[in-house]
Amino acid sequence: MNPDGSVLVEAEGLLYQYPNSSAPAIDGVDLRLVAGEAIGLLGPNGAGKSTLIDLLIGLRHPSRGAIRRRAKPPPTIAWVPQEYALYPALECGENLRLFADMLDIDRREATRRIDAAIETCRLGEFIDRQAQRCSGGVRRRLNLAIALLAQPDVLLLDEPTAGVDPQSRAFLLDRVRELVRDGTAVLYASHYMEEVSDVCSRILLLDHGRVLASGELDALLASAGDGEPHADLEALFMHYTSRSLRD
Amino acid sequence: MSPTRAALRARQLYRLAAKEWRLLARNPHGLAVLFFMPALFVLIMSLTMKNSLVDRPPLPSTGWLVEDTSPPATQWARQWREQHPAQVFESAAALEQAVAAREVEAGVRVKAGWLGEDGRPRADRVEIWLGNRIQPAAAARLRAELGYSIMRAGMRMAAAEAGPFASAMLADAGPTELLAGDAAPGIRYLYEIQSGRTMTAVQQSVPAWLVFGMFFVVIPIAGVLIQERNDGTLVRLATFGVTPGVALASKFLAFVLLNWIQLGFMLMVGRWLVPLFGGDSLSLDVHPGWFVLMVAATSAAAVGLALAIAAWTRTFEHAAALGGGLNVVLGAIAGVMVPRMLMPPNMQVLSEWSPMGWALDGLQSVFLGDPDMATILPRAALLCGFAAACMAIGWWPLRRIGRREMREMGSDTIIASDNRV
Repeated sequence: MNPDGSVLVEAEGLLYQYPNSSAPAIDGVDLRLVAGEAIGLLGPNGAGKSTLIDLLIGLRHPSRGAIRRRAKPPPTIAWVPQEYALYPALECGENLRLFADMLDIDRREATRRIDAAIETCRLGEFIDRQAQRCSGGVRRRLNLAIALLAQPDVLLLDEPTAGVDPQSRAFLLDRVRELVRDGTAVLYASHYMEEVSDVCSRILLLDHGRVLASGELDALLASAGDGEPHADLEALFMHYTSRSLRD
Repeated sequence: MSPTRAALRARQLYRLAAKEWRLLARNPHGLAVLFFMPALFVLIMSLTMKNSLVDRPPLPSTGWLVEDTSPPATQWARQWREQHPAQVFESAAALEQAVAAREVEAGVRVKAGWLGEDGRPRADRVEIWLGNRIQPAAAARLRAELGYSIMRAGMRMAAAEAGPFASAMLADAGPTELLAGDAAPGIRYLYEIQSGRTMTAVQQSVPAWLVFGMFFVVIPIAGVLIQERNDGTLVRLATFGVTPGVALASKFLAFVLLNWIQLGFMLMVGRWLVPLFGGDSLSLDVHPGWFVLMVAATSAAAVGLALAIAAWTRTFEHAAALGGGLNVVLGAIAGVMVPRMLMPPNMQVLSEWSPMGWALDGLQSVFLGDPDMATILPRAALLCGFAAACMAIGWWPLRRIGRREMREMGSDTIIASDNRV
């Protein structure tokens, strides 16, 4: 881990347009992921959050712009998707073993990382249970645990708490905070404003692929423009994105 | 139930039924299974069974080998050939080769001793050799026509001997006085001639339904691959360094192994279960090399096709409808549902141009004991080529998932640096 505040991933002037689409999904986005810092990625549905994450993990190739990674040592990037990207019919332990075995590490190290992920995400009592028989909260923890197997320097979380109970949500947020404290760079995409406020010190607010607001959370809250600060992140969000319903 | 509640139930019933129709209307694949597939079956089966139910199927072309050198035998054979399409062969090997190569549909071997010691023709000295694909109805007609022809020859001989009293003598004569031996020629299938075994239904059924079952791996493969893709698990695997090639190859390996387990199960069914119910036992006296090659090639084609379908469909329902329907149609064309020997010749030709047809040809050849390089190698090559093409088709929509950048997420690769703003 690298808690020294160095830039691990930097995106500059990103532009991405889907085939057969008239407008770009991402248009001129700049982003820096820094060790020990969490950025909240906000935006209404269709704002371009998932597309930006796709670009960062390399699933899509930007039409223009650049994404650079620190050269030495290169950062390890892990992704926690919005869906349960795991095998429901496999036991939790089997899922962890499978993904750990995909990494370029020996079996002993894989076992060590599995144990650490189980410990971090409190999955001990569910190891022998099929993922599909676990609650949504446990599956969310397993989803995170799989990402942690890579011991990531950069963690991209796409709505990691969707559909879980308050207890599981609080637990997951605690883990993310710990990871940030230990030096992980986190990009946290969510619709839950209170979560983002809890975890993130910086905000990147997108709509229609463009950056509406970007910077320190406190500074953004203080800069309403009419002299009065925003009451909270939700007020800030609605201020920039308006109340009109989206697709 | 009160009228109000009854009205509510009726409305619920109507709304829910209407919902089902709306869902059905938005499921073109489901509708295709309901309408298109039965229509296709009507077409295929009507053509396939065209000659099976007619009272007078066409007489098959014959090749003749006359080993009885007596003048009556020669004359009888010549008279037949003058009335029906036939070729003459000089040796049993040449006739066997011609039947195997389907130059003629059946062979007629007139063995020495056709003219019995009592001066009567012996039907039991005539042997009909049938290719493994000849229609039973056509074979039965050939047998009957030959038997009748021999009887007529016997009658002519008897009449010649009787002179002026021929009509009186023939009126009282039974078949045994006109014909020596059995009244009908014997039938031997080419398979029996070449392998020394008896043709049984189980020997035909096991390879046919094995091929059909192997191609149905599309159902489990689609279930896994579509879930992996839709849930993002494939992308996640890519972030762990797994290329789409490796992801596809792993499925290929796993399901090829499953095909071999299917094979073992089907062999056990044919060998032990069928006899328990009074059927014949499957003979496993097969050529091991050709057997392994044909099973491997069939499995590759089956898994390849399944991967291609799974990769290009978005939902499991779509894949199951498309894959299942396609397999059933391919199976019908190939001769799984209706043995190819029951098909008319033009349908037999069509059935040779489907992957299941290649597999069925090769495997039946192996199981029926007459495999050779000319039968096996082209079909195995076609199946392997088909498998490779399907794998490429399956890889194409998944290729993006394995972008080089994702596999090198731990490196210092700079992404998209060429087109900076």
